[in-house]
Amino acid sequence: MFDVQILIDSLPTLAKAGIVTVKMTVISAILSLFFGTISCMLQLSNVRILYWISRTYVSIMRGTPLVVQLFLVFFALPMVGIKGQAFIAAVIAIGLNSGAYTSEILRAAVQSINVGQIEAGATIGMRRLTIWRRIILPQALVLSIPALTAEFTIVLKSTPLASIIAVTELTYAGVLIQARTYSALEVLLPVAAVYVFVAVAFMRLSRWLETRFSVYRM
Amino acid sequence: MDFSGIWQYIPNLMGGLKTTVMLSVCALTTSIIFGTVLVVVGRSRLSFIRVLVRVYTEIILGIPVLVLVYIIFFVFPDFGIRLSPIVAGLLALTLYYAPYMAEAIRGAVNSVSAGQIEAGLIIGMTKWQIGSRVIAPQAIGVALPTLTGISIGLCKDTAILSVISVIELAFQTKQVVSRTYAPFETYIIVAFMYWSMLTLFEIAMRKLERRVTSYRAT
Repeated sequence: MFDVQILIDSLPTLAKAGIVTVKMTVISAILSLFFGTISCMLQLSNVRILYWISRTYVSIMRGTPLVVQLFLVFFALPMVGIKGQAFIAAVIAIGLNSGAYTSEILRAAVQSINVGQIEAGATIGMRRLTIWRRIILPQALVLSIPALTAEFTIVLKSTPLASIIAVTELTYAGVLIQARTYSALEVLLPVAAVYVFVAVAFMRLSRWLETRFSVYRM
Repeated sequence: MDFSGIWQYIPNLMGGLKTTVMLSVCALTTSIIFGTVLVVVGRSRLSFIRVLVRVYTEIILGIPVLVLVYIIFFVFPDFGIRLSPIVAGLLALTLYYAPYMAEAIRGAVNSVSAGQIEAGLIIGMTKWQIGSRVIAPQAIGVALPTLTGISIGLCKDTAILSVISVIELAFQTKQVVSRTYAPFETYIIVAFMYWSMLTLFEIAMRKLERRVTSYRAT
C-alpha cells in the first residue's frame, strides 16, 4: 500500500519546498517580534493615540482569519509597486498576524517587571528608549520565552496557508505531487510528520532556552 | 478603491457568513464533546490508553490545520473513507480543536479545590450531584475565557476549509472576486464581516462570564 518509491522520487522537491517553509517561518518570526515589540511599546506609552493604534492593530489581526489577511496583503502589495511576490506577501501577512499575539505576550511580561527598576533607570538619567532597550525588553523577552516559542510554533503551523496565494512551501509541494501521482498517503503523511517533529523539537528547545537564560532573572 | 461593484454581491457574502457560523457552531459542539471524552479517557486506569491520548495530543499540537484537512480529504479515501468536503472539514476541525478543549476543561475542573469535593461526599452527595452542583458551576466560569479564545480561533480556521471547496465565507469571497475583479475591496468588506462578528461574540462571552462568575463577588 505504501509505495516507498514515490516518496523517494519526491524527496528532492519536498526538500526544496521544506527550505521555503523554514525561510518563511524564520522571516515571519523575526517580523512578528519586530511588529510585536513596536505594538507593545505603543500600547504601554502614555500617548492616547499610540495606545489606540496598537489596540486597533491587535483587534483587527485577532478578529480576522489569516486566510483573509494573506489575500489582503497579496492584493495590497501591487498598490505599492511590489508585483507577483507571493513569498513577501506571505511573510508580511504571517508576521503581522503573529505580531499581534507577540504584542500581547510581551505586554504581559513587561507589566510583570518591577516598576522600581524603571524608576531607578529614570532616576539615574536614562532616556525612555534606553530604559526600554536596557532594562525592560531584555527581561521581558526572557520572561516570554515559553510563550514566544509556542507562538513561533504557531507561525510554523501557519506557513502552509501561504499555499493559497501559490507559495510552493512544503504542504503545497506535497499537494502538487499528490495531484500528479494520485498518491496522497506516501507524500502527505511524511509531510505531516516533519511538522510534528519540528514542533516537538521547538518545544524542547524552549525548555532548554528557558533554563539557559534564566540567569538574568532576579 | 471602488466598492460600487460589490454591493450587489453582499447577499452571496451573507450566505457564506451563515455557513461559516453554522460550521463553527457544529465544530464547536463536536470538539467540546470529543474534548470532554479526551479528559475522561485521559484519566483511564489503563496506561496504554493514557499514552495514546498523550501521543494524539502531541501530534495535534504539531500539525498544521491545513495539513490535517488535506490528510482527511486526500489520504482517507486510500483507506476507503470518502467524505464530502463539509464532513471532512468538520472532522478536521473537531480532531484539531478537541485537545485544546480538553486542556481548557481539565484546567477548569482541577481549579475546584479538593476540599469542596470531599465536603460534598461527606454530606452524602452522589458523584453526579458533585459534578453538576459543585464542580460544573465553578468550572464553567474558569473555562469560559479560554473557551472563548479557542472558539474564535476555530471560527477563523473555518476559512481554511475553502481550499477543499466548502462553500463558506472565504470561498464565497473568491467567487465574488472572480466576478467583481476588485479583490482588495472585497476582502476589506469580508475582513470587516469576520471582525464585527467575532468582536460581538467576544463582548457577549465577556458579559456571560461576568454573569456566571457573579458568585465570586461576595
